Amino acid sequence: MATELMGFEIGTLSAWLVWILPFAAAMIMPGIGKLSQNATKFIAVGFALMSAISAATMIPVALEAHELHHQIMWIEAIGLKAGVLADPLSIIMANVVAWISFLIMIYSTGYMKGDKDITRFWFWMMFFIGSMQLIVLSDNLLQVFFGWEGVGLASYALISFWYRDKKKDHVGTEGRTVLGMLDYYAPTHAGMKAFIMTKVGDVMMIAGMLLIFLFAGTFGFKELMGNTDWATAMAAQGLLVPAFVLLFGGAMGKSAQFPLNEWLLEAMTGPTAVSALIHAATMVKAGVFLVARIGPLVFALGAAGILADQFFEIVAWVGAITALLLATQGMVNPEIKKVLAYSTGSQIGYMMMALGVAGLSHQYVDGYTAGFFHLISHAMFKASLFMAAGSLLHIVGSRFMTDMGGLRKHMKKTYAFMWAAGLGLMGAPFITTGFWSKDAIFAAVYESGNEWALPLFAIAVLTAIITAFYTTRMIGLVFFGKKSKHIEKMEEEGHPIHEASVSMWVPYGILAVLTIGIGIIGLSAEEGLHHTFEYYLKNSFGIYSSHAAADESSILPEFLQGLNPVALGASLVAFATGIGLGYIFYIGRWVDPVKFVNSNIFFYAIHKLFLNRWYLNAIVYWCFVTTPLWLARGVSRYFEKTAIDYGMNDGVQKAASWGAKVIQGTQTGVSQSYLFVFGAGLLFVVLILLM
Amino acid sequence: MEYALLQAVFLPLLLSPVAYILGRKVGPTPAMWFTFAILLYTTIIVINAALSGTVEEHYPWTEQFGEFGFLMDGLASPFAIMIYVLSTILAIYSKPYMIHKFHEQFEEEQKINHSESGQSSVVESSALTNYVNAKSGLYFALYLVFAMGMLGTVLATNLIEFYIFFEVMLIPGFFLVALWGDGPRRKIGLMFLFWTHAGAVVLLLGFLMIGLTLGSFDFADIQESELPADIAMYSAVAIAIGLGVKLAVFMYHIWLPYVHGAAPTPISALLSPAMIGIGAYGIFRLIVEFLPATFSELAIWFHIWGLVTMIYGGAMALMQDDLKRFLAYSSISQMGYLLFGIGSMSAYGLAGAEMMYVTHAIGKGILFMMAGIIIVKVGTRSFSKLGGLAGKMPITAVCAVIGALTIMGVPPTSGFMGEWIMFYGALETAIAEGSTVRAVAFGLGLVATALTMSYMLWMLKRVFFGKLPEHLQNVKEGSWYMTIPMMILAGFSIVVGIYPDIFLKTIIPYMNGVMGV
Repeated sequence: MATELMGFEIGTLSAWLVWILPFAAAMIMPGIGKLSQNATKFIAVGFALMSAISAATMIPVALEAHELHHQIMWIEAIGLKAGVLADPLSIIMANVVAWISFLIMIYSTGYMKGDKDITRFWFWMMFFIGSMQLIVLSDNLLQVFFGWEGVGLASYALISFWYRDKKKDHVGTEGRTVLGMLDYYAPTHAGMKAFIMTKVGDVMMIAGMLLIFLFAGTFGFKELMGNTDWATAMAAQGLLVPAFVLLFGGAMGKSAQFPLNEWLLEAMTGPTAVSALIHAATMVKAGVFLVARIGPLVFALGAAGILADQFFEIVAWVGAITALLLATQGMVNPEIKKVLAYSTGSQIGYMMMALGVAGLSHQYVDGYTAGFFHLISHAMFKASLFMAAGSLLHIVGSRFMTDMGGLRKHMKKTYAFMWAAGLGLMGAPFITTGFWSKDAIFAAVYESGNEWALPLFAIAVLTAIITAFYTTRMIGLVFFGKKSKHIEKMEEEGHPIHEASVSMWVPYGILAVLTIGIGIIGLSAEEGLHHTFEYYLKNSFGIYSSHAAADESSILPEFLQGLNPVALGASLVAFATGIGLGYIFYIGRWVDPVKFVNSNIFFYAIHKLFLNRWYLNAIVYWCFVTTPLWLARGVSRYFEKTAIDYGMNDGVQKAASWGAKVIQGTQTGVSQSYLFVFGAGLLFVVLILLM
Repeated sequence: MEYALLQAVFLPLLLSPVAYILGRKVGPTPAMWFTFAILLYTTIIVINAALSGTVEEHYPWTEQFGEFGFLMDGLASPFAIMIYVLSTILAIYSKPYMIHKFHEQFEEEQKINHSESGQSSVVESSALTNYVNAKSGLYFALYLVFAMGMLGTVLATNLIEFYIFFEVMLIPGFFLVALWGDGPRRKIGLMFLFWTHAGAVVLLLGFLMIGLTLGSFDFADIQESELPADIAMYSAVAIAIGLGVKLAVFMYHIWLPYVHGAAPTPISALLSPAMIGIGAYGIFRLIVEFLPATFSELAIWFHIWGLVTMIYGGAMALMQDDLKRFLAYSSISQMGYLLFGIGSMSAYGLAGAEMMYVTHAIGKGILFMMAGIIIVKVGTRSFSKLGGLAGKMPITAVCAVIGALTIMGVPPTSGFMGEWIMFYGALETAIAEGSTVRAVAFGLGLVATALTMSYMLWMLKRVFFGKLPEHLQNVKEGSWYMTIPMMILAGFSIVVGIYPDIFLKTIIPYMNGVMGV
C-alpha cells in the first residue's frame, strides 16, 4: 500500500470516496435533472458503480487483516476529528452495500421508467447509499450519527416518494380496523411513521453516545478501544450497561427490532426498489452493523474485567423475540411486500440473536461470524426477492397475492429466480447461502453454553420452520394454482401477463444465482469469513478464540466436518417441516387454508392475532398518537384557551375597563359633588395637620 | 475600523428617513434596494468586526448613566450576525409580500369608502401607486429602525442603554403589526406593546435595583460581590421575568401566537427568529455572566421552566390549524430549548443554547418565509385547506423541508449541532451533580425532540404532501424575490451543520471563560 495519490494512501482515498461519491452524485442530480431527465439514471448508476469499485479496491486490505485509519480536523472548537476507519468489518460491509445497491440502481432504471419525479428519486437513492456508507466507514460515533440520520431522512423521503397519496400506493386493506385503528396507510403517513419511530431509537442512541463521550471525551472507535479508563469509571457508576443498551436502542429503531418494529410494514408504500434498498443494503442493516461495530468493544471490555453481559443478553433476546414475532405475522399477510418485510424483520432478529449470543459465549468469533454471514446472505436473497416482487407488482398491478396466482407459466424467469432466492430464505440444505448462515447461527446459539442457550435455540428453530412455511406460501400463492379474477380481467382487457424487462430481471437473477452459487461453496466461504474475523478481533480488540479440539467422534460425513450435528439436524428438520406444510396448503393445495383456519376456534383466534399484528401496532397508536393528541387537545381547550388566554389577555383587559368604569363613575360633572369632595379633602388635611 | 459598531447601529436609524422619502417619491423597489444596501453594508461591518475578535467602543454619555458603548464579543457576535443577516435577507423578501399586503388593504379601504360615499368611484391606478409608495416608504423606514433596535440591544454595554434599545425595537414592531397585520391588527399590536412593555418595566426595575445599589449602570462596573445577596436575587428574578416575557416562555407566552400570527410575514420572520431570542441573550449577559452566584441558584429553575416550555409549546403546536400560529407555538417550544440549555449550567450547555439561537433563527426564518409565500400565492394559511403543494411549489417545499429539519435537529442541518452540544451540557451537569431531577430533565428533553419532529413532519404533510385540493390547482411558485432569500438561508443551514466552527469557534471559548472551565 505504498502508492500515494494527493497525499492519500490509495486505500484511504477509497474509504473516503466510497461514501463521498454517492453524496456528490446526489448534489449534482438536481442540476442534471434540469438539463435532461434521461441523463439522471446514467449519473446514478455510474456513481453507484464508481463507489462500488472504490469499495472493491479495499478488499486486499481486509484480506490482509489490515486497517486504514485516516482523520481530518472537523469541529476544532471541541477538538473533534472526522475520519474513516476501514477495517475488515467495514470493508466487507461496504462491499455488500455498494454492490447490492449498484444492482438495485440498475433495476430501478427499469422499475421507475417514465416516472416524472425521477430526479428526486435518484437524489434520495444516492443520498441513501451515501449515508449508509458513511455509517459503515466512519471512525467515530458522531459521524456515524450523521449517516444514521441521513438514512432516516432518505427513508422518510423515499417511503413517501409518491406523496400524492394515490389509492394504489397505500398499504393495508382499505377500511380494515384493528382496535379502532385503521390498518390502511398512505405513503406520506408511512414515511412520517418510519421517521418518527426510528427517531425514538435515535434519541436513545444519542443519549448513549453522549454518556460515553462524557466519560471518554471522544467519539472515536479506535480511541475508545485504546484507553479503557472511561469504561472503568462508567462501570463504577453503573452507567456502562445503560450506555451500551441506549446505543442498541438506536439499532432497534433502525433495524425494526421489537418494540420499535411497526414502522417496517408501512415502509412498503415506497417504490419496490426502495424497499429492496432498505431491506437488503441500507437502513435495517445499519442497526446490525452498529451492534457488530460496538459488540467486540463490549466483549473486549468484558474480557478485561469490565463486564457488560446484560448488553448481550438484551441484544440476544430482542433479536429472538423479533424473529418469532414477525415471522408469525408473515404467515398470514395477504400482501407480498409485507410478507417480505415481516421476513426481513425476522431475519434481522436472527442476526441480532447471533451477535448477542456471541458475547455470552467463550467463542465470540463464532456467533459474530454467523451473524455477519447471515447479514451477507440475507442481503443477497432478500434484495433478489424484493426486486422480483417488484416485477410482479409492476406487471400484475396489485400488491395482494390473492390477485396473482398461476403465474409460473407466464413469468418463467421470475419464477425460477424467486425459487432460488426463496430457497435461500428458507435455508435449503447444502446449496444455499441461507442454509449455511442459518446453520451457523443455530450452532452458535446451541454451543454458547449460556443459561439462555436452550430457549433461544428453540425459538430459532421454530422461527426457521415458520420461515420455510411462509416462503413456500408466498411462492405457492403467486405462481401456483388458478389465475385470480384480477388477472383474468387484465387478460380480457388486453393486458396479458409477460416477463419483466431485461434491466429488471437481470439484477435479481444475478443475486438469485449468487445465492445458490455461493451456497454451494458456502461452508468454505463461511470459513474464510471466520478466519478474517478471527484475525480482525485478535488484532483490533485482542479477543482470542481458543480452538476446541475437533470432535473425533463426529457422525457427520467428511464434507460436513466441523459442523454441530444437533444444529445441522435441527436445520434440516425445520426446513423439511416448513416446506412440507407449505406444500400441503399452497402448492399441492390438498387442504384449503381458509377452511382449515375456520375449522376451529383456536386456529381462528391465532390467525386473527397474527393478522392483527399481535395488536401491537394498534397499541402503539393508542398510546403514542391518540392519547397524547387527546391530552394536548384537553390542555389546549381547558388551559391554554381559558386560564392563559382568557385569564391573562381578556381578563386583564376586562379588569382594566371595569376599573376605568369605577373611576369614571366619580367623574359626575356635577359641581356640587366636586365641591363636596374638595371640602371633605380639605377638612381631612387640616385635621391631619392639627393632630 | 473606527466607529464600526457605532455605524452599524446608527446608520440604519439615521438613514431611515431617506428610505421613507425614497419610497414615497420613487417607489417600493428603490426603497427596498436602499434598505438592502444599508443593511448589507452594516452586516459586512458586523461580520468584519466579529472576525477580528472582541471589539469594544465607548462614547461619553451622561454623568448619571455612565458610558454609551458597544461590545462585540463571543457572546454577542452570533446574535449580532444572525440579526443583521436575517434583516438584510428579509428586506428583499419584504417587497413582494408587502406590496401584496398594500394592495389588499387598498382594496379594503376602497370598499369602505365606496360603501360610505355610496357613489361608484372609478379606481384610479395612480391612487393605488401613490398608496403603495407611501406605505412602502413608511414600512422600510420602520423596518430599519426595528433592525437597529435589535442590534443595539445585543451590543449595549450599559443597563440603561440596553433598556433604551430594548424599547426601541418594540416601538417599530408595534407599528408594523398595527398598520399591516392580519385580523384585528390594532388590538393585537396593542397586546404586543402592553405585554412586552410590562416585561420591560419589570426588567427596568431589576436594572434600577442593580444600578442604584452599585451607583453605576455600566456593565464593566457590575460586580456581584458588591451586591447584597438579596438584592442580587431580586434583581435577577426581575430580569428573568422581564426577559421571559420577551422569550415567551411558558406562562408569559400568550402574546406571541397572536403577534406572530398577525404580524406581516417578513416581520414575523424577524420577530420569531431574531427578536424573541434576544431575551436569551439578556439572560446570558446579565444573569449568567454578571450574577454567576445567583445564576447557580436559579439555574435548575431555568432548566425546568425551559423543559416545560419545550413540551408545552410542542403540544400546543400540534393543536393549531393556522400555519403562522403553528410556527409561533413552535417558536415558544424552541425558546424552551434555549432556556433549558441556559439552565444546564455547563459551558457546553450554554454554548449549545446559543447555537440553538442561531439555528432557530435560520430554520424558523425559512419556515416563516415559506408561510409568507403560501399566504401570497395560495391566500389561505389554514392547514385544513392546504395540501399537496410540493408539486406546485417545489423550491418552497424543499426549503421548507430543510427548515423543518433544522428545527427538528436532524443532521446535516445546523439544528443538530446546537442540539447535541446542548444536551451534552445538560447531561454533563446531571452526572456531575448526581442530580435525579436533571437526569430526568435530560431524558424528557430528548423525548421532546421526538415531539418536535412529530409536529414538524405533520405540518409538512398537511401543507405539501397528500392530495392536492381542487381549489389549489392553479397555484404557482413564489417569485424569486421570495425564494432566493429562502434558498440562501437553507444553504446556510447545511453549511453550519457540517462546519459549525463558524460559530462555535467564538461561542465555546467565551462560554468556557464564563463558566471558568
